Amino acid sequence: MMPLTMKISIRKNTGKAFSLWIPLFIIWLAAIPVVILLSPLVLLVSLILWPTGKGKVILYFFPALFRLIWYMSGLNIDIQTKSSTFYLNLL
Amino acid sequence: MSEERKKILEMLAEGKINVEEAEKLLSALSEDTGTFPEDSGKNPRYLRIMIEPGPESKNQDRVNVRVPLKLIRAGLKLASFIPGDAQTKVNEALHEKGIEADFSDIKPQNLDELVSQLNDLTVNIESKETVRIFCE
Repeated sequence: MMPLTMKISIRKNTGKAFSLWIPLFIIWLAAIPVVILLSPLVLLVSLILWPTGKGKVILYFFPALFRLIWYMSGLNIDIQTKSSTFYLNLL
Repeated sequence: MSEERKKILEMLAEGKINVEEAEKLLSALSEDTGTFPEDSGKNPRYLRIMIEPGPESKNQDRVNVRVPLKLIRAGLKLASFIPGDAQTKVNEALHEKGIEADFSDIKPQNLDELVSQLNDLTVNIESKETVRIFCE
């Protein structure tokens, strides 16, 4: 499933902290019309560039990118060092 | 992995039995347990990498990473779109770091097999730091 939220947190031992919760589902909703509008253009460019071999790459790149984003849900990175802590979580 | 399976694989590694005998033993074992040798019944979804400092370690860094296996598969598929000249540069950079890997050799048809083999991966290194890599 596509990640719906992302949490990023960076904490320094000096006391400085930065924490951000991003509602990705809003970004995806905003991206839908952009993707719909751009898809015919991508198709056209890929058809024009098909004889050069780059058209196939363009055509298959975006579904692969979409698949990458789709499966990001569940990614969790937690790194603690002496000086700082980094936390990233996609749900 | 059960103790019996581990024992069979150890015997194979030591050369006490050959591949065919090991296969027969694993098949017999799977009949007893009701599972296939390749299928341990679990279906891992994540690759987990954990690095924790040991008692003698000066470095107190901790790493805890959980990556969905499907994300690895999708990432490898996306990597296949890297242009040839850029792939050459990546391979050169890896070679400089002592990593002999050529990602252009990874074909889409091999990806599923590659990722499925990660299911059985377990790395446990205990030195100054404890490194654990496994699927869950």
